[in-house]
Amino acid sequence: MSLAHPEYLWALAVLPLLWWLSRPPAPRRHLWTAHMQQWQLAMRALRRRPPRGSWLRLLLLAIALVAAVFAAAGAQTAARPGPMRLVVLLDASASMAAARGGASAFDRARAKIAARLAALPAHVEVTLLRCGGDLRRRYGEAARQLSDVGRPSGELDVDLAGLADALRSAETQVWACTDGQGQVRLPAAGALDVFDARGDNASVLAVRVEDRWPLPDLRVEIDVVVHAAAGSAVQIMAAGAVEGGAQRRTVDWTDSQTATVSLDLQRLPGGGELELRVMLPGDVLPADDVRRLRLPPLPAPRVAVLEDEAAGPFAAVAAKALAEEVRGKVVEAAAGGEVGLLLVDGGVTSMAAGAVRALTFGARLPGQEEPEAWLSPQGIDWDREHVVTRGLDLSELEVDRAWRDLLPEGEPLIWSDEGGQREPLAVLVQGEGVASLHFAFRLRDANLPLLAAFPQLLRRGFVRSYDKAASLERDEGALPAGELDLRYAQPATSRPLGRFGAPPESLARWWLAVGLLSLGLRAFVR
Amino acid sequence: MPRVDLPPLEEPFDEAFRQLLPVLISTKRRLDGGRVERLRARRAVLSQSGTFVGHRRYERGDDLRHLDWAAYARTGELFTKQLEEDDRRAVTVAVDLSASMLAGSPQRRTGALRLAAVIGGLALARLDGVCLVTPGASAPSQRFVGVAQLPALLEHLRALPVADTDPGAVGALVLSSESVGRVHWISDFAPPREFEPPLRALRRRGAKVSGWIPVVPEDEAPPSGGYLRVVDPESGRSLSVPVDPGLHVELRRQLALLERQQRQMFAEVGSPLLRWPFAARGLDEPDLLDHLPIVAACAR
Repeated sequence: MSLAHPEYLWALAVLPLLWWLSRPPAPRRHLWTAHMQQWQLAMRALRRRPPRGSWLRLLLLAIALVAAVFAAAGAQTAARPGPMRLVVLLDASASMAAARGGASAFDRARAKIAARLAALPAHVEVTLLRCGGDLRRRYGEAARQLSDVGRPSGELDVDLAGLADALRSAETQVWACTDGQGQVRLPAAGALDVFDARGDNASVLAVRVEDRWPLPDLRVEIDVVVHAAAGSAVQIMAAGAVEGGAQRRTVDWTDSQTATVSLDLQRLPGGGELELRVMLPGDVLPADDVRRLRLPPLPAPRVAVLEDEAAGPFAAVAAKALAEEVRGKVVEAAAGGEVGLLLVDGGVTSMAAGAVRALTFGARLPGQEEPEAWLSPQGIDWDREHVVTRGLDLSELEVDRAWRDLLPEGEPLIWSDEGGQREPLAVLVQGEGVASLHFAFRLRDANLPLLAAFPQLLRRGFVRSYDKAASLERDEGALPAGELDLRYAQPATSRPLGRFGAPPESLARWWLAVGLLSLGLRAFVR
Repeated sequence: MPRVDLPPLEEPFDEAFRQLLPVLISTKRRLDGGRVERLRARRAVLSQSGTFVGHRRYERGDDLRHLDWAAYARTGELFTKQLEEDDRRAVTVAVDLSASMLAGSPQRRTGALRLAAVIGGLALARLDGVCLVTPGASAPSQRFVGVAQLPALLEHLRALPVADTDPGAVGALVLSSESVGRVHWISDFAPPREFEPPLRALRRRGAKVSGWIPVVPEDEAPPSGGYLRVVDPESGRSLSVPVDPGLHVELRRQLALLERQQRQMFAEVGSPLLRWPFAARGLDEPDLLDHLPIVAACAR
């Protein structure tokens, strides 16, 4: 036992004062008598006792005082030397999701850590480092509760052995929990638990999709890698929003080599989820077996045409060509009718830019004044990176007449560069979920309909007008290559946690209890 | 025995008493000196002479030659004849010097010394002398003869120390004296049972013993209140006592019981017990009337 404030022991000097105060008062008057026996007999007859100090009462009072002094002086037990901190290195790489016997290595590690931390003394500072994927650090109660440590993902890009050596000290114990995968060496000192998850594994490495939306055709190329003994039957299965139900394809594979499987699919008109799965008997890591695509629904390819009287036949021809391209049809533009795309050539239209799916050629939007004619714009160029114009050859585009200040604000796709100043000839206006494409010239005033890129431009304008409704969604990418081959792991033997130190424990409450007990007993002692 | 600081000794013989003492001695009452004979236990020459003064009941150990057979014939009970020798008469005064005699205010020892002085003075004036027995003193048995030795007697008494002795020592000293005569034993006789064996022994040897208790006020009127430390000067034991009326009454009862025990003890051994309230009127002004009972008792 030691004292935090030994200077309080000076209070023990009060003990002699207590002894003096506990003595009964001394009579001031003395009476010499030869009849002591008669005095004693008289007192005995009356059951009287001479007042006297009780040694027991004094002893109890002294104990109470000593206990109070020791409590005030901060009596405490001696500290036990040893580490006071624990750092848990939890391997949360993707390979920890591998399951043997029903539970994944990660879940087994979590359960073991939770059980051990629950039994850990409260004074031990716990830090949990999630290694693998995104590095996370949890401290104190959050670490003890394993709060938000996530699921296994990513690659173990830290050297567990080096990290353990760097963290370990006389004050800190390090506990590494890993499956031994993807490590050159494991920590040689400190606590270690290796959760065996070795086994065969097949993974989908990549999925490439050639989407011909708004057409239902879909071509999918799947790269898979198989880490297994030769002879295992590996299949690729595509199931979900495709015509004809689930489709399987046997994979011709070589151990640890990437194999590519192509599937030509017909999507359902309503779209939906397409699941691509590689199937290997005895696969211990199912997390990398599946890739999911969310296919957009097919549009309603109804094309309507609005053209002024002087526009010429180009708009109708263009609409017909577009309908053929997307397997749609040309419908009459009537109020209340449902169309997939509105094609306007010249004139004045009442639609707002970016509000409806539309392609306008020299059409005036509401609120615009009569534009200024712009004859033979020079230096015509286009955006070669934009999704609408990328890869198209518009070098032969000639415009006889266009209109200045006709186009609304938007992304310029085609422009005229005259004297170093760009003047847009075509812009894309992005609205909420829809987009519209506007040209500053009518079809009859340019040779655009005669260009080979025109049908493709129309088709891309159509697709782009559907905005995100035309794009498919993919789930997360493939697992790191180092986390796929699960047949080998660093050999190691688990080592338990060592004994932790203990801080001095205050004995003040015990001393106070002793003091109060003494005072309580003293109340009953005469 | 715990060490205790004894109270200072009082001056026993002040000037007033010294003036009173010759007056007392000159009173004309006859003084009983008692027989002077060789004690029976010493198997010496036994004197059968003397004047018949009365009977007393036979006690075991009495000389069978002193049995009064005529009285036995008349009454059927054994009586011993009491004879008084005329030629040689003396008095023995035994004074208790124990510390317990320092109790009281004034101290009982003062009364005891004055009582011894009166008895001794009377014996010096009218009898052959007085033998002063004081166990514990440098001269435990001192004989004084003739009235001229009265100052020496007083000085001897005044110089007596405080000495704790066993009551049996008094009896042994008295019996070892050459002439005994009447024995006046001055003490507090407390506790009584310690005095009974020597009294019986003296009685068996034929000594005529009178017990004297100088009475101090506390013997009859103990404190009625206050917080006292009661100290026994002989044993050194002390007692802190809060005195209240209840305890006062009980203490008086105990003291009365003690007095009865003392009387009963003396009655059983056939000796008188006399109580002399020497401080009834205060020590500074001794009165002749207060001392006349001593003279009267010695004359019986």
